[in-house]
Amino acid sequence: MSQVNLLSPPSHISPDTARKLSLKAPLILSHPPTSSLPWPLSLLFSRETPESWTIHENLFYSSLRTGDETSARQILERMEARFGDQNERIITLRGIYNESIAQSNADLERVFDGYEKILREDPTNMSVRKRRVAVLKALGRTQDAITAVTVLLQNSPTDVEAWAEASELYASQGAWGQAIYCAEEVLLVMPNAWSAHAHIATLHYLSTASNSPPSLPALALSLKHFCRSIELNDSYLRGYYGLKLITSKLISVLSDSASASNKRGNNQDDDEVPIPKIATVKKLEEIATSKLGEIVRNASSGKTGWTGYDQAELIAARELLDGGGKIER
Amino acid sequence: MALLGTVLNTVGALFLTHAIYSTHEHTTAFSTSPLPTDITLELLLSIVLLSTGIVTSSQPLRPIQAATWAGQIAREGQKPEGTYTREGEAVLSEGDPYAFLGLDGGFGEKGGKGEGRRGFWDVKGKRREYEEWVRGRGKE
Repeated sequence: MSQVNLLSPPSHISPDTARKLSLKAPLILSHPPTSSLPWPLSLLFSRETPESWTIHENLFYSSLRTGDETSARQILERMEARFGDQNERIITLRGIYNESIAQSNADLERVFDGYEKILREDPTNMSVRKRRVAVLKALGRTQDAITAVTVLLQNSPTDVEAWAEASELYASQGAWGQAIYCAEEVLLVMPNAWSAHAHIATLHYLSTASNSPPSLPALALSLKHFCRSIELNDSYLRGYYGLKLITSKLISVLSDSASASNKRGNNQDDDEVPIPKIATVKKLEEIATSKLGEIVRNASSGKTGWTGYDQAELIAARELLDGGGKIER
Repeated sequence: MALLGTVLNTVGALFLTHAIYSTHEHTTAFSTSPLPTDITLELLLSIVLLSTGIVTSSQPLRPIQAATWAGQIAREGQKPEGTYTREGEAVLSEGDPYAFLGLDGGFGEKGGKGEGRRGFWDVKGKRREYEEWVRGRGKE
């Protein structure tokens, strides 16, 4: 990436991008968006836009990441002067700053106690509740983090961000059932989120990946969700990758079970998950292979209009097409 | 295309102004006689030119189907649209609207490295990742 952008930073920031982003700090810090004139004149000569503050916030994050605490401190002070230090968002940003300068776990615990104190004064501050979860995660207390996020969700059950976090926390513990439940809650609020469908499909696949033979209903559900994700986004690389992976697994499982016994056909009626026919699965694999090939070919030749894909994902897709697909992302 | 649109709009606007001016002059001079056909024709021509110009100079249309629209975002990524903020940052085109869920990263080594879910941003982890990267570069 040649051009880094502070207004809408990419969804994956590599350390190199983070360095380039935080190098913009001196320029932004030398031009304050607010005017230093007294009140009525400051309204006339202010040059601030909503975008200025988005840029400041993103710069704050990237300078913390690169360890540039002086810049982060200055940005924080500028935002405090603008929005007041009782603003919920400012309280959260100050908390992040304190977390970042904490040297040891004991320091982090102190930041955590500070959050508890803020919550005793104002229990409705949701972003501080989320910071609590983040601190617990950073301390390695994943079980406590899960408890904290479930308490948060009891109070605010439509918070998709928290449901997604809970799903990933459960998945990190190998609790696939709970992780899938949380991901389904995300889908209830945002049924069109293709990434959530791909996520849930990955969870279904991972829940059975270590079993041999893999359980057929889980694979079928995974197939279903990957299909839905590419139905929602017709050039979704991860969706096609997953579809190809799952179909190749399903074909071998289905052909095994078909030759072993025919009794599966009888008890399929009371089974909740309909098992797809092998012909359908084969057709889906063909579609996935051709579409993956098209994406990889166009994107790696750098054709215009095909530059939105992540390089690592393209490499993984090419490996899968070449037959060596072992990694699931 | 942009040039064509501008030319059509300018010529159309000139014809429109001229037609209106002629009508005004005609009605003040001969208030009883009907409007000459050339003025009517000029007015109609200006409307056609302006309509074509406005249509050609408009932004490219976005896909109607959600899947095509999402696919376009995935294929093309975020591109500069030609405008800049005061700080000199380019304003980019629309990105993945569900990126804030942070569910695009997958699992394993790369899992949880994305920038989604700002509320749960793991500042310590990101910092450690950066420090390791710097140390790795120092060794080379």
